[in-house]
Amino acid sequence: MLEQILTISFFTAFFSAMVRMAVPLLYAGLGEVFAEKAGILNIGMEGVMLSGAFFSFVGAMFSGNLWVGLLFGILGGVIVSMIHAFLSIHLAQNQSVIGLAINTFVLGITSFFAKIIKEGQSYQQLKTFSTIKIPVLSDIPLIGNALFNQDIFTYLLYILVILMTVFYAKTALGLSFEAIGEHPRAADAAGIPVHKYQYIAMLVNGILGGIGGAYLVLVQLGVFSENMTSGRGYIALAAVILGRYTPVGTAGAALIFGGANALQIRLQAVGVPLPAQALAMLPYIITLIALLGSIGRSNEPESLSKPYIRGSR
Amino acid sequence: MAILEMKHISKAFSGVYANEDIDLAVEKGEIHALLGENGAGKTTLMNILFGIYTADTGEIYWKDKKVRFVSPKDAIDQGIGMVHQHFSLVQKMTVLQNIILGLKQDGIFISKMEARARIVELADKYGLKVRPDARIRDLSVGEQQRVEILKALYRDVDLLILDEPTGVLTPKETQDFFGVLRKLKNEGYAIIIITHRMSEIMEISDRVTILRDGKKIKELVTAETNPKELSMYMIGRELKGDFEIKEQPDNGVALELKEICIKKGEKALLDHISLTVKKGEILGIAGVDGNGQTELAEVISGIRKSTSGTIHFLGEDIDRLNVKQRFEKGISYISDDRHADGLVIDMSLKDNMLLKNYDKEPFSKKGVFNKKPIEEQARQAIEKFQIKTTGTTGMESITKLLSGGNQQKIIIAREVNDEAKLVIANQPTRGLDIGATEFVRQTLMDVRNSDRSVLLISADLEEILALSDRIAVMFGGSIAGILERKDANVQKIGLLMGGVTKEDM
Amino acid sequence: MTDKKEKVIQGLVIALITIAVGTVLIMMSNANPAEAYANFFKGIFGNLNGFCEVFVKATPLIFTGLGCAVAFRTGFFNIGAEGQFYVGALTASMVALNIQGAAGIVLALAAGFLAGGVWALIAAVFKAKLGISEIIVTIMLNYIAINLVGIAVRTFLMDPAGSVPQSAKFDSSVWLPQLLPPTRLHAGFILALVSVAVVWFLLEKTTVGYEIKVVGFNKRAAACNGISVMKNIVISAFLSGGLAGMAGVVEVLAIQKKLLEGISSNCGYTAVLIALMAGNHPVGVIVASVAMAAMQVGANTMQRQLGVPSAIVDILIGLVVLLILAKGLIRRKKVKNA
Repeated sequence: MLEQILTISFFTAFFSAMVRMAVPLLYAGLGEVFAEKAGILNIGMEGVMLSGAFFSFVGAMFSGNLWVGLLFGILGGVIVSMIHAFLSIHLAQNQSVIGLAINTFVLGITSFFAKIIKEGQSYQQLKTFSTIKIPVLSDIPLIGNALFNQDIFTYLLYILVILMTVFYAKTALGLSFEAIGEHPRAADAAGIPVHKYQYIAMLVNGILGGIGGAYLVLVQLGVFSENMTSGRGYIALAAVILGRYTPVGTAGAALIFGGANALQIRLQAVGVPLPAQALAMLPYIITLIALLGSIGRSNEPESLSKPYIRGSR
Repeated sequence: MAILEMKHISKAFSGVYANEDIDLAVEKGEIHALLGENGAGKTTLMNILFGIYTADTGEIYWKDKKVRFVSPKDAIDQGIGMVHQHFSLVQKMTVLQNIILGLKQDGIFISKMEARARIVELADKYGLKVRPDARIRDLSVGEQQRVEILKALYRDVDLLILDEPTGVLTPKETQDFFGVLRKLKNEGYAIIIITHRMSEIMEISDRVTILRDGKKIKELVTAETNPKELSMYMIGRELKGDFEIKEQPDNGVALELKEICIKKGEKALLDHISLTVKKGEILGIAGVDGNGQTELAEVISGIRKSTSGTIHFLGEDIDRLNVKQRFEKGISYISDDRHADGLVIDMSLKDNMLLKNYDKEPFSKKGVFNKKPIEEQARQAIEKFQIKTTGTTGMESITKLLSGGNQQKIIIAREVNDEAKLVIANQPTRGLDIGATEFVRQTLMDVRNSDRSVLLISADLEEILALSDRIAVMFGGSIAGILERKDANVQKIGLLMGGVTKEDM
Repeated sequence: MTDKKEKVIQGLVIALITIAVGTVLIMMSNANPAEAYANFFKGIFGNLNGFCEVFVKATPLIFTGLGCAVAFRTGFFNIGAEGQFYVGALTASMVALNIQGAAGIVLALAAGFLAGGVWALIAAVFKAKLGISEIIVTIMLNYIAINLVGIAVRTFLMDPAGSVPQSAKFDSSVWLPQLLPPTRLHAGFILALVSVAVVWFLLEKTTVGYEIKVVGFNKRAAACNGISVMKNIVISAFLSGGLAGMAGVVEVLAIQKKLLEGISSNCGYTAVLIALMAGNHPVGVIVASVAMAAMQVGANTMQRQLGVPSAIVDILIGLVVLLILAKGLIRRKKVKNA
């Protein structure tokens, strides 16, 4: 059996699956990084993704155009994150309760309307976004196929991770967005419009989370099914922690989590009798251990999930 | 030529004047001190200038133009900077990042080279030594203060407001800090420094404006005045007590502190405090807020641990005992912050009366409450202390709905019982009306007259002078001096409060 | 006074909006609202079976909701009831498969309580000792617990006679007795009510509850009066997890009679919302749980008879909580930092 695993083709397939699994997680994770750095914990990321998945399917199905689907998916994500933003920023409510309520609400809405639109028939599978093979690079052994024979969203992610890293490290605006999550009063005193920027951060959160959800439909499965995100929003939260709130770190964490998932599928394919759950559990255990290891110098934004109200200390 | 003129500034909060018709003028190249007791209106006035509050009436002229700031950003844009007592620095970020935070950049990217060069230039010029790439969390308080000042200078301010800037500094740091202020002054900056320390006013300022009860009392040229005159204007009248104090025989010592210290980093919150409280005595602790009084109260009541030193109570070493055990020994505490420390304001009067004895018989047996004695205790408290409850709810009244005076009575009813042998009363009458104040003072007096002890902490000198057998004055975490009742007067206390030691007088 | 009046108005507004949205949703699924509501109530009150089903469905909600309420009282934000439910179910199954009779039931209950409690305790220790937010830790622990059950039913607890990922059926001697056969109403519901009574007594009538209350309202005052904040967070977390664990125990002993995956129906997350609606009051938890269960039962009937998707319940529950959160708009009172 070991010979079956230790082959080039096994690893090539494994790496490809790993990247594919990681992409939706990373979109959601980057969206969450944006929100959390600005001080807002969106436990409702699961709902954002699910909404993105559902609306992208609806959009693509009715228009027959995948790009329209994508636009709908983004809108779906944004609507949900804006509900969160309004309650958490404007009304300063408990962000965890908001997130859980949103998840229940969106699960209900998407399941309900998925059934109604369906009207008893089964859905037509959509034609999904195709892969774009990048010549030469995709021929690199082992990882070429995984990294450079993917869909446009994957390539977009490479750019996104770099852009976000530069944004936080090098730009004044990035510094402002980070200061809000650390010390909103100081940011306010420095003339940064705290609430406005938090809304913007949540907007980005909704866009990226929406794309993450839409990816499941428009690239991977071509169809919407009830609760199809099945906890990916929560894994994205874990990825952000494991990635220590940096875009690159989150990308690494998403790959690890995607890898655990991919490994489980690959091992199953070659008939290794290890329960899938043992690997599925891994991301969470790794994250807990990472939390233990980060004591004292946690990278968590200082004011994460504490509403900022001007004039109060 | 004044760069800043504030004219006839008035500001009331729910009908009470915090500032009433105040004038203030500051010139370029001047260090102007703002002196006053707690609640005299200094901070309110500066918050109006800095755009945090807007004045009800009055005008502000800045560089000869009438201005109106509605946010700190307005004030900063016009060239006014303020360093608050609590710094506004992002701990995780570097000095450089904090300084440029929120500033418009040319282009998208931060030009670190340029910023660093300017910071270094400013730092060198004024002796504000900092490493631009150090993270704030790794800096001492003194260094952080320098960053705050640099942050203001970097924004090209012409006037710098400093709120109690030396409170957080060690003596050495204070001297360095004054060096910086002198350089700034020589460069033509105008500086307003809020302080209560006489020695510092005498050393650093050019002029002093003294506020009292929200009004401007006097403006003086520092070179033409002295600490005695300053403290007279600050405190105002000579006060006399209206309590008749019975002579008490010496009954021995109730509480003895030896060399108590609390260190926080390099700074000592309490610095080698030694004092005794006798039986049948009220020891008054005077001082401006924040000079270690609350830490002293908390270290005696057991809320805080001392770093070194010993505490003996009625001859017994109590260092190791916790709050509850000390209470059982007879040490009661009336906190200065009723809402945070003394009461659970969302619970009923009855439940608040239980806070210290809920786990004692007869109130509970084996962990289960016994309704009758609990209600009896509440009923007695209401009756004896004449607590006014809300409507028909009686002892079930939720505490936050009661008036401040009645809330304080609950605490006193709980803490000042027959078993209390030492009552630590921290600002016990702050915010109370005259009736409630009288009641509280009489209660403390009764404790003293029954051969028990009181440690009375108050920023209200009238109260201290009226009640105390002896008066200790705290300054910068240590005892600046202890006065016998017959030797004490406002002037002496005022000087000690401002950091002038007994030997210097 | 006006406070009470405002609360009533808020409640009415929220109820009206919810009913209105419900009606619109029913119409969107091409059903007649009058008919749908008739079916809804017929499902609940139409026969004994349906009526009892309400309490069957309410049982795990009461346990987990009660658990959340206890934790929230000290400000410990336990959103790990889901995981605590599963470790409770898992340990109870391990007991029930090995020990028979009344002893098996008692031991299963104890083991489930303990396991759920310990599961919550992990998060409490992370928070109390290391200062790590319990929110994230409890979420992680949820998924670990769910996967542990998945592993168990595929390996050491798997029914040797079958090929489906589930345990063997428990011996009938460890099933929780049914109260009103043929309905599914079982002794677990009584147990839930007893738990509510016990927790109510504990919170309202004992020094333990008093300390928890003080810590929840004002940690600073607790410390100033000699009440340990850490100790009480740990106690409330353990109790909270234990109660959620009981939900898992009851579910496997009374309903499933074996261990399998996906049996919580998300009640661990719903529990947070229940506690919020109940204002963290034990008796309120019963009311909110029964109401929610009734909605589910009624909605199931609507789905069966008229094809209105039962997901309407999730929509309305989520909506109610969102409206509760937004009630500041109805009142427009100055927001205070919690």
